[in-house]
Amino acid sequence: MAYVLSIDDLTVTLGDAERRFTLRAGKWSIAAGEVIGLTGPSGTGKTLLLELLGMLRAPDAGRYRAEPLAGETGAPQAFDSFWKAPNAIALCAQARARFFGFVPQAGGLLPFLTVAENVEISQRIAKRPDPDWASALLGELGLSQIAHLRPGALSIGQRQRVAIARALAHRPFCVIADEPTAALDPENAQAAMGLLIEAAQAGGTATLLSSHDFPTLSHFAMRRMALQITSAPHDPNVVSTLVPLEAQKTASAPQEVSG
Amino acid sequence: MLILRLALRDLFFQKVHLICNIAVLAGVLVPLLVLFGVKNGVYNALIGQLLSNPRSLQIDTSGNTTFTTADAELVRGWPEAGFVTLKTRSQFDFVNVRLDGGRQKRDAILIPSGAGDPNLPEGVQLNASSAAVSAQLAEQLQISTGDRIDVITQAEDRPRQLRVQLAVASVLPPGGVSGRAVLAQIEVLDLVEAFYDAYALPEHGITEGRSFAQRAAVFEGLRVYARGLEDLAPLQNRIEAHFGIRTEARTAEVQGVLNLGRNLNLALLLTASVASLGLAAALVFGFWGEVQRKRQVLASLALMGLGGQRLWLFPLIQALVSAALALIVSFALLGLASLIAEQLFETGLAVGGLVQMTGAQGAVIVVLVMLFVVASSLFAARAALGIDPATVLREGAT
Ligand SMILES: Nc1ncnc2c1ncn2[C@@H]1O[C@H](COP(=O)(O)OP(=O)(O)OP(=O)(O)O)[C@@H](O)[C@H]1O
Ligand SMILES: [Mg+2]
Repeated sequence: MAYVLSIDDLTVTLGDAERRFTLRAGKWSIAAGEVIGLTGPSGTGKTLLLELLGMLRAPDAGRYRAEPLAGETGAPQAFDSFWKAPNAIALCAQARARFFGFVPQAGGLLPFLTVAENVEISQRIAKRPDPDWASALLGELGLSQIAHLRPGALSIGQRQRVAIARALAHRPFCVIADEPTAALDPENAQAAMGLLIEAAQAGGTATLLSSHDFPTLSHFAMRRMALQITSAPHDPNVVSTLVPLEAQKTASAPQEVSG
Repeated sequence: MLILRLALRDLFFQKVHLICNIAVLAGVLVPLLVLFGVKNGVYNALIGQLLSNPRSLQIDTSGNTTFTTADAELVRGWPEAGFVTLKTRSQFDFVNVRLDGGRQKRDAILIPSGAGDPNLPEGVQLNASSAAVSAQLAEQLQISTGDRIDVITQAEDRPRQLRVQLAVASVLPPGGVSGRAVLAQIEVLDLVEAFYDAYALPEHGITEGRSFAQRAAVFEGLRVYARGLEDLAPLQNRIEAHFGIRTEARTAEVQGVLNLGRNLNLALLLTASVASLGLAAALVFGFWGEVQRKRQVLASLALMGLGGQRLWLFPLIQALVSAALALIVSFALLGLASLIAEQLFETGLAVGGLVQMTGAQGAVIVVLVMLFVVASSLFAARAALGIDPATVLREGAT
């Protein structure tokens, strides 16, 4: 089950008459196993974009689809139409359970479950039990020794690794990580991001992550995209536009590419 | 069901909050249960005292009215009426009694009775030639069940005495009819009355006198027992209205106890209503606060796609389980309280003790409390549904 997600002019506008914020996501796609790093100054809508793509917020316009890759099984999904269905809440919840995994900035773990159970829970919700894959993830992320502990007993870095394992346990199509390493020190940040990207690729999962952390991002091969304000500086109608950056391997100042 | 298991795991993980909720519920429930139990105990004891004496249910006609067997049949057909018997003229109720073959004789009163008479022990049947005797009479003449007794009457103007032999079907318990008494069917009393009225009774060896065939069987009064205490007043009214007579019964006493019961129920209902208002407020805000506190957990579940429409079950399940535990604790404390109460108070309440509750009453209370708690948790359930799963991305914290 490998898909390609395609985004075509996905747009959302928030706010009121005083100040409006419009996000334009442009036209692009992400396929199984790919990694996209999303950057941009604070307030440009990184979290908002991830909400749109993670079926947490309805777009105002544009297309958002998932198509099975050539030669792969699976039904195409018209994600943008889910929001218009009468049972939109249930449809979107189901889409999140089946196609997406989330790594929030901090934890989001269930405090009353053990590490192992926290990882297992996404498999249960997606109705895709796979104990071998769950324990492989625990091993890969160095959590086997602490699998019986509850999140309260873990360090922030350990919690973040549990969140990564949980986001990948049900083999989602795409893992959505919003500043997954922001709470970690540089060393742990790099390790965690490495594990996320590695484990996602091992599971055939696409990775969409936002980060401010250019030094850490620069260590990994990924496509880069950036959000930037394209409206006039004092315009109350703020417009933020997603633009692709040159794919890169090593650290360097982001260089804009036209188109 | 996954949400059920998660709700339970969370509930028992946060034991302090669970204990808080149980304490709040039990704190209101236990005093109400004890009040209810004590009310039952006291009221049942009063009712028991009334019911232990059949006279509480008894209605006697008074005044100069005559009754026929048809009148008795009519009253027997009324739903409020239990045992119904006619009465002869009361001055002829006195007889002498002798154990068959015995030498001693004692005077006793002859009381009309029959199947269904609450003065008779359960299941005792009387026929025209059998009787029940009071404990005092049985003791003085050494009569026991199965013996035969002679009921003897004499009248000044009659050369021979009337002797009727009756089989003793039952000896009444000491708490039953007091004094020396023989309980027999109305036919036996009617026979005695015919004897006084100077009729010939050849089958009893009395050949002189008026022909019995010419006698019209007319009775001096009716004795009626109500089916239950609640039936007493309506039955008395009905008899008085139908026959246009006055009657005697312990209606005032019985109504007094019944009214006391009603007033106690009313007071209890009022107390319970006020208490449940407070409890409702505590629970509604308690459950709602719980959902606010667990926003991250609920949002996390929603983020992972659990629920959608099912997430409202999370607080509901927790409320139900808390209520069930609180009920168990409350009934346990009620048991403890009643044990202590029995020890502390010399109540003299024989029947079932000071604190009483039937299984059915308990079941109704359980159902009511559950419904109450579910209703109180609906607000929280709504709040749970309203939680935005994106909260996890926006309000990051474990
Ligand atoms: N509910 C809302 N109503 C109005 N405006 C909103 C709402 N939510 C977000 N915004 C606006 O959308 C813009 C994008 O916010 P968002 O949180 O996505 O930024 P971000 O790029 O994730 O920033 P950061 O790097 O600080 O996390 C902000 O300007 C914010 O003010
Ligand atoms: Mg953000």
